[in-house]
Amino acid sequence: MADLHGLIVLVNEAAGEVLPEARPGVRLADAVPSWLASAHAALRVPRQGDGEGPAVRSGSVGDRVFEAHPTVEDAGTVLWWLVDATDHRLAQEALRRERERTAFLGKASNLLLSSLNLNRCTHVTAQMAAEHLADAAIVVAPVRGARLPLVSCLRDGAPLASVADVDPETVPGLAEALQGFPPVPTRWVEPSTVPDWVLPEGFGPPGSIVVTPLPGHGVPAGALILLRRAGSAGFTPEEEVFARLFAARAGAAMSAARLYADQSAITDVLMRELLPPSLHQVSGVDFAGGYRPSEDHERIGGDFYDVHPAINEGAPSLVVLGDVCGKGLEAAVLTGKIRNTLHALLPLADDHQRMLGLLNMALLNSHHTRFATLVLASAVREGGSVRMRVTSAGHPAPMIVRATGEVEEADTRGTLIGAMPDVRAESAELSLAPGETCVLYTDGFTEARGGPMGDAMFGEERLRRVLAECAGMPAESIVERVQMVASHWVGNGRHDDMAVVAVSAPRNHHLSAVNGHTRGRFTA
Amino acid sequence: MSTYPSSHLRLTAEDTETTVRIELRGDLDYDNADILLDAVTEKLRERPRLRDLHLGCAGLGSVDSTGLSILLMIRRRTDAAQVCLHLEDRTAALDRLLAITGSLDYLTGDATRGVHETSGPGESRADTEEALPARPTGPDSRA
Repeated sequence: MADLHGLIVLVNEAAGEVLPEARPGVRLADAVPSWLASAHAALRVPRQGDGEGPAVRSGSVGDRVFEAHPTVEDAGTVLWWLVDATDHRLAQEALRRERERTAFLGKASNLLLSSLNLNRCTHVTAQMAAEHLADAAIVVAPVRGARLPLVSCLRDGAPLASVADVDPETVPGLAEALQGFPPVPTRWVEPSTVPDWVLPEGFGPPGSIVVTPLPGHGVPAGALILLRRAGSAGFTPEEEVFARLFAARAGAAMSAARLYADQSAITDVLMRELLPPSLHQVSGVDFAGGYRPSEDHERIGGDFYDVHPAINEGAPSLVVLGDVCGKGLEAAVLTGKIRNTLHALLPLADDHQRMLGLLNMALLNSHHTRFATLVLASAVREGGSVRMRVTSAGHPAPMIVRATGEVEEADTRGTLIGAMPDVRAESAELSLAPGETCVLYTDGFTEARGGPMGDAMFGEERLRRVLAECAGMPAESIVERVQMVASHWVGNGRHDDMAVVAVSAPRNHHLSAVNGHTRGRFTA
Repeated sequence: MSTYPSSHLRLTAEDTETTVRIELRGDLDYDNADILLDAVTEKLRERPRLRDLHLGCAGLGSVDSTGLSILLMIRRRTDAAQVCLHLEDRTAALDRLLAITGSLDYLTGDATRGVHETSGPGESRADTEEALPARPTGPDSRA
């Protein structure tokens, strides 16, 4: 209690313990910290319209924080109640830090999850760690061979990727952190033992260093090295825990990105394997093929075609065009299986039914009913014309473009392959005069939606009309023409894979007289 | 009566002790065909005395290859469970798809094969049982 003149009137026992100088009669300003003295002085200035109660002040006394609640008595004497607010303050401070960290983690997650690009994830991790956790951060990716890919970042700097030809064993704890399992705790590293390659350029002598593993989805995603300069505060246990929280998120994001990158690499390899071959003339028969994959980039399409040239001169070549049910890797795997199986069955190429039956057996599987529809076409040059046998296995029948402009559908039908215990197929025999073409296609064409209103099916009739206009054209031009019209039809719309193969009897000049039964010689 | 939610394919089922009828509305395609398979598998499991499974196809939109694959799997499962599968009120588009792919007879035929099967509902048969040799029925099976 202090009076109007700033003299202490009364001190209770508790206040005496906190403020040992304070005794009755002593000037308040001499006995208490200046914040309390000036608060007292401020209260003595008469205020007008003082509707609110006297303000609560707070400040530190020694190493603790107090709140001072004044009670003004009639004589102008002020009774100051001192409340120890230290713990409250500490809690508030901790809450603020915790909020900051949560916000940071939230931001980190947003940034990290917004990309499946591994490089970007790594860079974001290094940058965020350098900004919020340390003076510099280095993300070490799992070892590839003997080289260590690094991304280092100084606070307020840009992340810098490099590859170091170093041994991770040179940094204590780094090798273990990179192995990822068993999980290792964050390691403190004695700054003097740190090899130079860890220090980003221009960093100066390190003060404290922490190595934290980046845990991935069961696979090590790398390690995070946090550096602080000599002279700045070291890492508190709290900060270390927080760094681990951050590392967990960064690691998860990075390993997701890495898995995705691996997957897309596999997809690329498979795609390259599955790309249709470029076709050309084989034994006097023209082949042309075109393939437009679905633009759904995440999914490998299920259309494929192959031409297997005859093993012996005078024997037919085999064309296979097919469409595998489903999408993505599963479809790609089934496509690969079909192509390989058919390749192995080539010695039976003359017997389409047997080939399809064996293929069906090879594909039948108890745990799924993924199937393929395909067309087999054997073609052999006979005199000026080409004799063909075509067999549809659950696939749209091939169309034949006659020299007259008529378009016929080959009379063949059969069952799909790979899902039913029995398969049947009926082949059609046909003959192509010079300039006539047999067109094999997948339903990606006929079922392409587009047109003026954007939702009409291309349909078989339209395909027939397009083909009719192609009468007499070489195989390659027909393929191009069909592709062009269909692609114009779908515009920018979504579409399935579209594969088309044309088999033509070329319009070549006879070089030697033949009677129609013996093989002649033709210009290529 | 129960309803299975789906954004594109909606199933409405009516059950009796020995009969289940599921009305299909929407697309049976890559994105949601598995809903139907799950529903049918569930029915087969929870109703051991089921004799007939009717799939009402009148409201069916587009059916893609994955949709057809699911129908084939359903047929395999109903055969195994000795349940007759009935694809009813088929649309022209569905009939066309089944005709082109040669699966009409298999999907709509009698489940005579199922009588010989002893495996339980929901179980697929082994490869060897499935892998019967194909019948070369074409006129030109000779070389």
